[in-house]
Amino acid sequence: MPDIREQEAIARKLLPIIYVLDTSGSMSGDRIAAVNSAMNETMEVLKDVSKNNPTAELKIGVLQFASGASWITDKGLVFMDDFYWNDLKAGGLTDLGVALEELDKKLSRSAFLNSSVGYKVPVIIFMSDGGPTDDYEAALKKVNASNRWFRAAVKIAIAVGDGADREVLAKIVGNPEAVIRVDDLETLKKLIRVVSVTAFVLGSQSRSNNDASDDIIKGIKDQMGMDTEDDKSGGKGGDGTGVNPDKPEETPPQPGDWPDWPDW
Amino acid sequence: MAIFEPGKVLRTNLGEPITVDSFIASGGQGDVYKVTYGGKAKALKWYRPKALKDPDAFYESLKRNTEKGSPDRAFLWPEAVTERTEDSFGYIMDLRPEKYKELAEVLVSSGGGGFRTFKAVVEACIRIVAAFRVLHVRGYSYQDMNGGNFFIDPATGDVLICDNDNVAPNGTYTGINGTPQYMAPEIVVGAAKPDTHTDEFSLAVVLFMLLCASHPLEGEHWAVPCLTPDIERMLYGSRATFIFDPVDASNRPVRGIHNNVLKRWGYLPEYMRTIFLNAFSREAITNPNKRVREINWLKALARFQSDIVRCPACDNEIFIINAASTRCDKCGKLYEVKHTLKLYEYSVTAAKNTRIYRCQLGVCNADEALTPVGYVLAKPDDPNVLGFRNVSRTVMSATTPSGVTRQVKDGDIIPLKPGIRVEVFDGEIMIQ
Repeated sequence: MPDIREQEAIARKLLPIIYVLDTSGSMSGDRIAAVNSAMNETMEVLKDVSKNNPTAELKIGVLQFASGASWITDKGLVFMDDFYWNDLKAGGLTDLGVALEELDKKLSRSAFLNSSVGYKVPVIIFMSDGGPTDDYEAALKKVNASNRWFRAAVKIAIAVGDGADREVLAKIVGNPEAVIRVDDLETLKKLIRVVSVTAFVLGSQSRSNNDASDDIIKGIKDQMGMDTEDDKSGGKGGDGTGVNPDKPEETPPQPGDWPDWPDW
Repeated sequence: MAIFEPGKVLRTNLGEPITVDSFIASGGQGDVYKVTYGGKAKALKWYRPKALKDPDAFYESLKRNTEKGSPDRAFLWPEAVTERTEDSFGYIMDLRPEKYKELAEVLVSSGGGGFRTFKAVVEACIRIVAAFRVLHVRGYSYQDMNGGNFFIDPATGDVLICDNDNVAPNGTYTGINGTPQYMAPEIVVGAAKPDTHTDEFSLAVVLFMLLCASHPLEGEHWAVPCLTPDIERMLYGSRATFIFDPVDASNRPVRGIHNNVLKRWGYLPEYMRTIFLNAFSREAITNPNKRVREINWLKALARFQSDIVRCPACDNEIFIINAASTRCDKCGKLYEVKHTLKLYEYSVTAAKNTRIYRCQLGVCNADEALTPVGYVLAKPDDPNVLGFRNVSRTVMSATTPSGVTRQVKDGDIIPLKPGIRVEVFDGEIMIQ
């Protein structure tokens, strides 16, 4: 039998969480600072909750859009352990359509989604505080028609403030329920964390019902205002002494109680 | 997120004080705190308000479980429930010692997840089966077995089982369907609710995961580019197929992905492969009455444990085949089996620490399956001299080859000498 210590980690699917973040001019100042601070903190929490997840390994993608769109993770999705948040700067237009074109390009086995173990259904988290300044409709139509990954993805949108075009976001994520509105920055920070963690925890679970989105959205709404770390009940500390009645006690024989068996 | 500050005093439903010491962790349904209760350090699980679908029924069920008490020391059983206050409630259980690792953590770690010997893995399997046997005998079903509720001490294989708040009398629906990868196929397809037969399926999955570090249904069907809910429903439900199904070869493990099971399956003793083939046969997958019973797992695992020895030359673990001398697959040296113990259905190697349980002697009821009978030990000043110690708490009768019969009291040691026949309980052990 090969040494047990040669055992590899169990095969797990990869779960992509892709952030599509609005870094247009209206996000500058407090808003982008809040996003940066929330993402920094969220990455730490995600590292913690994803570490021992038995079903999926987390990979992160970040796409920012303003005047045009660019991948922060331009070489592909990044494993959590290798991912560090670099603060985003805001400025420019709101080219949501270009962002959708980028998603269409990279959500493909020949681009970001190549892997021999394969993936769980991706999670795409959109965040915007405005309305598109380009022809997002054509891009949305195209990505929906031609990209199965995008169609299957769990899509959630965070609409920041009054200026966010919630109708457009609802069209993109395909469900008005999946657009979550937030007004103040403290709630925004909390929401980014809750959405990310809930999407990971519920998205990594195997499921037998079709719509993971519904569960995730319900989970997010239930848990806003609370932390959502992975279950670790049982706790730490204390001591676990105890005798198992099922196991013979293997007290080493004391000198003297070993018989001589002269006549066996 | 902690909602209770250290020093906060809560009360049990019987009015006893519980003092919060520190916050430990957050979970899906609530938070865990370190508390002092009855003068001892304990864990408190506190449900987040609205986290439970039917809090009234849940509270009553928890209360009943605390009153009935823990079925086995392996369970971190609810000891007391709190009063209903602050819009919710919680329960008290033992703290989990630091050295115990969550099964999920063991599985996702490389390097064996802290296990240093396969013998300890088998020990963990035996503990888990033994605990569930007792739980089931008491008329409970566990309902939601998964990688998060087993805590294992990888050094010894000792097991603690938590999340016992869903445990309910068999046939009671608590609103929990389980965790998909571990659920019985009939639950995945929505045709059944958790009961003891679905527990039996989950148990087989847990044992396979521990012994093979792979999932029994995750082969080629799993290795698709995108595991959509539709595919998962087939994979774990409607088209669930064992990766080694003897007839349907469509879901074999994939080289490069399911390396653990590919490496290990061939090393498992034939009787272990057979019991897994039975546990995940088409029949057992589709018919809940055809699942492998706990007594049969115990028999196979007890035998397996006695078949694992250490190579004296290189210290590698060897799985002895057919109780005969077996070559070490690492250094090639032959492990000589000098003595065997012939039992009811098979023989096992008689090496230091070989243990014999009641279920290996013949027909016995499940309650007595793990009653220790005896074990092999070496003479302190001469490791080449082996003896067999009676730990059965009864008097054995041993007959020498020359026909002399002697009484062997509990604790006594007899020599491992070929030809001695030991009668104990209703069975016998032949030393060979």
